[in-house]
Amino acid sequence: MLRRDTVFRFTMLLPLVILTGYFLLLVGSQSAFFSLSGFFEQLSQADIRSAIALSLLAATASSAVAVALAIPSAYALARLDFPGKRLVDTFIDLPMVLTPIALGTLILMAWNTAFGRILDSFGLTFPFTMAGVILAQFTVVVAISVRMLKATFEQVSPRQEQVARLLGCSAFGSFLHVTLPLARRGILAAIILTWARAVGEFGATVMVAGTARGQTATLPSSIYLAMSMADLPRAVTLVVILIGISLLVLFGVRLVMEERR
Amino acid sequence: MIRVEQLTARRGQFTLGPIDIDLEGDSYLTLLGPSGAGKTLFLETCMGLASPASGRVWLDGKDVTRTVPEQRHISYLPQDLALFPHLGARDNILFGARRRQLKREQVDARLDSLVELLDLHSILGRDDVSTLSGGEKQRVALARALLPNPRLLFLDEPFSALDATVKRQLQVKLREINRQLGVTILHVTHDQEEAFMLGEQIAVMIHGRLQQVGSRDDIYYRPATIDVARFLRNQNIFDLTVEDILPDGSLRLGNGISLIAPGYDGAERGVRLATGIRSEEVMVIRPDRPIGPELQDNLFLATVDDILVFGGTHTLSVRLQDSGVTVDVELPNCAMRDLGYAVGDTLQVCLRKRSLWTIPLNGTAVAKEAPDDQLR
Repeated sequence: MLRRDTVFRFTMLLPLVILTGYFLLLVGSQSAFFSLSGFFEQLSQADIRSAIALSLLAATASSAVAVALAIPSAYALARLDFPGKRLVDTFIDLPMVLTPIALGTLILMAWNTAFGRILDSFGLTFPFTMAGVILAQFTVVVAISVRMLKATFEQVSPRQEQVARLLGCSAFGSFLHVTLPLARRGILAAIILTWARAVGEFGATVMVAGTARGQTATLPSSIYLAMSMADLPRAVTLVVILIGISLLVLFGVRLVMEERR
Repeated sequence: MIRVEQLTARRGQFTLGPIDIDLEGDSYLTLLGPSGAGKTLFLETCMGLASPASGRVWLDGKDVTRTVPEQRHISYLPQDLALFPHLGARDNILFGARRRQLKREQVDARLDSLVELLDLHSILGRDDVSTLSGGEKQRVALARALLPNPRLLFLDEPFSALDATVKRQLQVKLREINRQLGVTILHVTHDQEEAFMLGEQIAVMIHGRLQQVGSRDDIYYRPATIDVARFLRNQNIFDLTVEDILPDGSLRLGNGISLIAPGYDGAERGVRLATGIRSEEVMVIRPDRPIGPELQDNLFLATVDDILVFGGTHTLSVRLQDSGVTVDVELPNCAMRDLGYAVGDTLQVCLRKRSLWTIPLNGTAVAKEAPDDQLR
């Protein structure tokens, strides 16, 4: 019996060891091309600083808009009954299964219509602008945000909202005083992961905003540019920055999820 | 206080109602029924949490059918209590008062009286309600429901997850609350003991319909439908036919077993009846004692087929010797010790006429004669 347990543990643990080793290999192999002096030298370059700033700024803007829209949308999907709910619930997942390149194409095409031209005449130009970077990131991350928040709201007992109503809260009051506080950990996790996904977005951003250095180039598109020009120190510096951001995000999510209350 | 007229509601394939009920102020009604009977849906519809398909709900003479829940001023204690885990015990209790912006002095006084009544002294300061025991959670939830001074309190099986001792303490407390605070209570339960202990009036709901509303005795001794009789564990139910109507209005029933039963208005020869008697109402006639006049009818010799032991009582399954019909007889342990029956023994039992109830199988009827010494 004990022997069977040992075999079971080994069977489960071996793939985990292989995966961890593989990721350590990927990260560790960067050290051959990485030096601290080179890292700071790359950081002193204006276009790299611009890429970092644009990535952080655009990700913050796109994820803020995405979460702001996702919170009520996710609540509606989790709690309310309305005609066509199943259809809407499926349709809103589209950006999660569609490749970002295709999403970028969809955005570009949409702006090539009468609707896009009207917005353009009001000065809302997205192709090859910073606004385009934000729109591309928003399009990719909003569905992820809705999905995560829907799961979060589903975990809040409707009974608690009902009791709040009977204790004097309006529907909005119950949402504000009961649902949001109870969902706060899930909302925080959704914000962090949405932001992280936006920082790493590449395909749709390149399609919509291009990779103009110092203008629309983000961290991921700068890595692509550096690699295409065989500029390895630059590429590795950018990768290390992205790894740093990712580790911070993962640590943040873990802290939020492990918070006792 | 609350009046419900022809109320119907739907949830999936299930249909509730139509329900008609009128609950007076300061009263205590228990709504008793099996799981899936529609009790919770009924409460939700009355509270405005579920939309009725038809019918009306009146509160203090005002039609509130389309009124939002927060304006109905009904307090609610659900089965899972739904305490707010992000708030401490005190903030949970004060939640309703804050939302309704009640006056500080009024809230403080009310909180003090509830702390006394529900013995919340050691609980009030607790920050994490998830660490409270089951009974403590119940008391916090009850205080939260009572703090806004509701006139109507709905309880939805609030004690189902508690152990017997804590449950009994809280049941006693509920009676006290009903009397001391003058709160009208509608208490949903599937626990018959709880329903009979707490309810001044009892309503029985089965399959989404109110089958019977009445006093404890009405429900216990005179079930209005077969479903109510079966739900209330009437073990001895016989399908009989009226053979004769006697001069005093009693019925002579036959069809397998011959019984004299109380009559009812409109009784006719040949009508099929369901007749029953609770197992604790079946009298065991001691051989050494004279038989009183009221026990002269429905006397049978029987053989003990089986004996089941339940804590404080024994149930004897006896077979009537002349008909072969099986009857359950419940005896308290002390009586059983005195009589000392064993399987195979012969005894004499009486299905006392006035303890029998009758229901015509094509409708409902109430027995003419009611037992006057039912609460033995």
